[in-house]
Amino acid sequence: MQPAEGGAAAPAVLTVSEVGVHFGGVAALTHVSLRVLPGTVTGLIGPNGAGKTTLFNVISGLQSPDRGSVHLFDTDITTMKPHRRARLGLARTFQRLELFGSLTAGENVQVGLESAVKWWEWRHLGRSFPRKRRAARPGETEDGDHEPGGLGSVAVATSDRLLDGVGLQGLGGQQASAMSTGLARMVELARALAIGPKLLLLDEPGSGLDEAESKALADLLVRLAAGGMAVLLVEHDMELVMGICDYIYVLDFGDIIAAGTPEEIRKDPMVQAAYLGAMPDGDRVPDRGAVREGEAELQRIATGAGRDGPPRGAPGVEPGGGR
Amino acid sequence: MSNFLQYTVFGIMLGAGYAIAATGLVVTYTTSGVFNFAQGAVGMIAAFSYWELVTAHHVPILVALVIILILGASIAGAFVERVLMRRLHGASAERPVMVTLGLMVILTGLAAIIWSPSTQRTVGYMINGQFRLVGINIEYQYALIIGVATAVAIGLRALFYGTRTGYALRAVVDDPELVAMSGASPNRMSQYGWILGFMMAALAGVLLASTQTTGLNIEAMTLLVVSGYAAAIVGRLKNIAVTFIAAVGIGLLENYVINYVLPHLPQSFVPDVTVALPMVFLFIALVMLPSVRLRAVGRLTTMRAPRVASGWESLVAGGVFFVVAGAAALVFDNTAFKGTTVLTLGGVVMTLGIVGLSLVLVTGYSGQVSLCQFSFMGIGAFVMGKVAGGGSLLGLLAATAVCAGVGALIALPTIRLRDLYLALATFAFADAVATGFFTDTHIYGSGGVNVGRIVLPGLTFGGDSAEFLMVTAFFVLAAWMVLAIRRSLFGRRLVALNDSPAAYATVGLNIGFTKVAVFAIAAGMAGLAGALYGTVQQTVGTSDFDIFPGIIFVLFVTIWSIRSVSGAFLAALTYVVLNQLWPSGLGLFAGIGIILIGRAAGGILGIEAIQLHLPWVKRGAAEVREKSAASIGSAAIFGSGTRAAG
Repeated sequence: MQPAEGGAAAPAVLTVSEVGVHFGGVAALTHVSLRVLPGTVTGLIGPNGAGKTTLFNVISGLQSPDRGSVHLFDTDITTMKPHRRARLGLARTFQRLELFGSLTAGENVQVGLESAVKWWEWRHLGRSFPRKRRAARPGETEDGDHEPGGLGSVAVATSDRLLDGVGLQGLGGQQASAMSTGLARMVELARALAIGPKLLLLDEPGSGLDEAESKALADLLVRLAAGGMAVLLVEHDMELVMGICDYIYVLDFGDIIAAGTPEEIRKDPMVQAAYLGAMPDGDRVPDRGAVREGEAELQRIATGAGRDGPPRGAPGVEPGGGR
Repeated sequence: MSNFLQYTVFGIMLGAGYAIAATGLVVTYTTSGVFNFAQGAVGMIAAFSYWELVTAHHVPILVALVIILILGASIAGAFVERVLMRRLHGASAERPVMVTLGLMVILTGLAAIIWSPSTQRTVGYMINGQFRLVGINIEYQYALIIGVATAVAIGLRALFYGTRTGYALRAVVDDPELVAMSGASPNRMSQYGWILGFMMAALAGVLLASTQTTGLNIEAMTLLVVSGYAAAIVGRLKNIAVTFIAAVGIGLLENYVINYVLPHLPQSFVPDVTVALPMVFLFIALVMLPSVRLRAVGRLTTMRAPRVASGWESLVAGGVFFVVAGAAALVFDNTAFKGTTVLTLGGVVMTLGIVGLSLVLVTGYSGQVSLCQFSFMGIGAFVMGKVAGGGSLLGLLAATAVCAGVGALIALPTIRLRDLYLALATFAFADAVATGFFTDTHIYGSGGVNVGRIVLPGLTFGGDSAEFLMVTAFFVLAAWMVLAIRRSLFGRRLVALNDSPAAYATVGLNIGFTKVAVFAIAAGMAGLAGALYGTVQQTVGTSDFDIFPGIIFVLFVTIWSIRSVSGAFLAALTYVVLNQLWPSGLGLFAGIGIILIGRAAGGILGIEAIQLHLPWVKRGAAEVREKSAASIGSAAIFGSGTRAAG
């Protein structure tokens, strides 16, 4: 399932080629191939157990594939360690929350921001000396729930900006483990954005959000993509997926069974069968040719014809700033 | 040729004994996800019980076996699972390690009380006599051990892969909810696993007891299964067949090395190499293991992190602490407590306090369990005594640097692996260093190492008061440094790594480097503490840095609070005081304490009701946090809408 490479086409941020993963005798992924282009939101949908999270783990380096390859731009990252992938600009969130629960929301983001600081850059030790204390922000305690990295540092200011960007104004001082699921998901998103990703993998970010919050999340993702970031979104909220995705891949039993624009996916009988249990006419195998045509449409979207309005970045977020 | 065959048979027999213990470890780990550090201690209790019944009271062997294996081990296994382990579900990863270590020191402590170590106890063969095979004489006892081990391995393999219960036993760790949906009780399955594990440990103990020709020894029997640990690791703690084969291979290799390699080495090395062999095997096993993949744990640390004192607060607290120590030095000068001057004991408290601080750093902050901090102490004291004639500042620096380097070398092979393996590596290291280095009179000297007091130009710490104040100053500095590290970017990374390794890696941080760095720093601190301990005691003995006191001290720090500076100090204080009052009861205190603390990761100082009465904990902080946490639920996000989910 390799999309055609046009001369003027934007290079794919992520290229997954023929990836397979087996757990014992069970094939979690068989021959999965997909591409994610810059400036697009790409959906990855499928029933529970289809292999979506496994694919995310393969892309982010938490799971080694048995076969196939993963490229970030032109770099083969198939065997690269997760932290090196992150330094190339690949960030992710998790289906089940993976926050640093002992730290505050602000510190969670700062850990992401400071991942570029090398051990010999001991400047940060200097910041642990006491300085003049600023007034507590809303939501912070007066007793010294301060950021250990030093008050007023660039990291603190940037983390505040990132938290503001995902709607967590004034909550930087709250301990992450004490936050509700919805808020914690936003902290996780802010932390992922902190590394300045070129590719953002989001694993069910809308889970636990109400309607208004989902709408706000959708706006944020569209703005991120408009700023040039590539977003790969796993989500069960079909309204959210169909509303913001430029292109959608459908995964079932570890294989891509359909790919196309939201409208094409909505009408695809294989997708309907996978989701609703209805069988399409005959035992049709995934039409890889159709998928390829769909990816040409994706290419068109990425080169600028598919989005309304001028690109806007999220407040406090500079997409594409990966190291 | 006949010698070779003789060595081979003995090696297979030894390996078969290891195999029984190792498969027991695998069974327990497979069914509960817990590595039972008390496996050797259970075998030791079984061996002594066997001696008590058969040798001392002339109970028929079969009756004794029924009492020990069928009744004793199974009831004890079920009890431990139900009372100690079940309530640890969902606790932090190091907690089961601590509880099984607690169980180990309780059992060794009880054994020391019941069976006085001064009495010689030997266990005879269950079946006497020999038979001849391929030209050599083989003891029936050897054949019995090999046969029993083979039957156990085949039986367990059949149980795990050929029965419905076996499938449930294997599945219960991966997904207890699914096991429950299939009609089996996850708790019952775990309990079966613990019963089987205890029975295997007891069987190994009883069978190997007869091979202890110099008599049963509590520590030696408890640590006899370290080679079994290596086999279980080769089997990746889940494959019984591989574990069995590895155990037999290790038994063979051990026997070949002892009989073919050691005779060609200088005699003075022989005891060291012999005792170091299990550790070498364990290290080889660790290095050969393929990397484990990072798993998203999918749970959020819910424990509130202890408040970290600011730079000014720690400076002021350190100053006050030093002034109080100075006052104590005036009050207790020339005062003795149980035969030792109070100020010498105070100096020991301060040096152990620095070891406790190193544990706060490595285990409390970053979540890695180290069981060999006392070994670094011993190495530090040794270096201190040997550099520049002892009692020099250069010695302090060298002790710190050498231990940091050794610490990094120990951590390196395990950084790709789960944290449990670091605990195992440090356990093996502590065992090997204690028996192969500290007790070697060629290296450590028959009367210990003379360290002496530090002498600087124009300044001497010859008196107890001056020495006490000097080590107190080092403790205060170390505490200040630990808090400064926690406040720094590196400290935040340590806590982040502890909370979620998967998230840590995916934000671009190098797990391996962080682990090695923190372990090396902690080892260096323990080395410094050892050097200072040497200056306090002036001469350090061969038994000062044994594995068991080291483990007991880790438990003391965990009981008080392994995440706080106060916990480190209080652990050192109570350890030294109890050691003066009732040395043989230390293990019992530690074991019972850790069991009572259970899953409370914050230890005694982390208990909310106690925090309210601590003068150094700021009032109101907890209440403010509670209010803040409550208000979060209704906070708006994205500037619109409210949510109550979570």
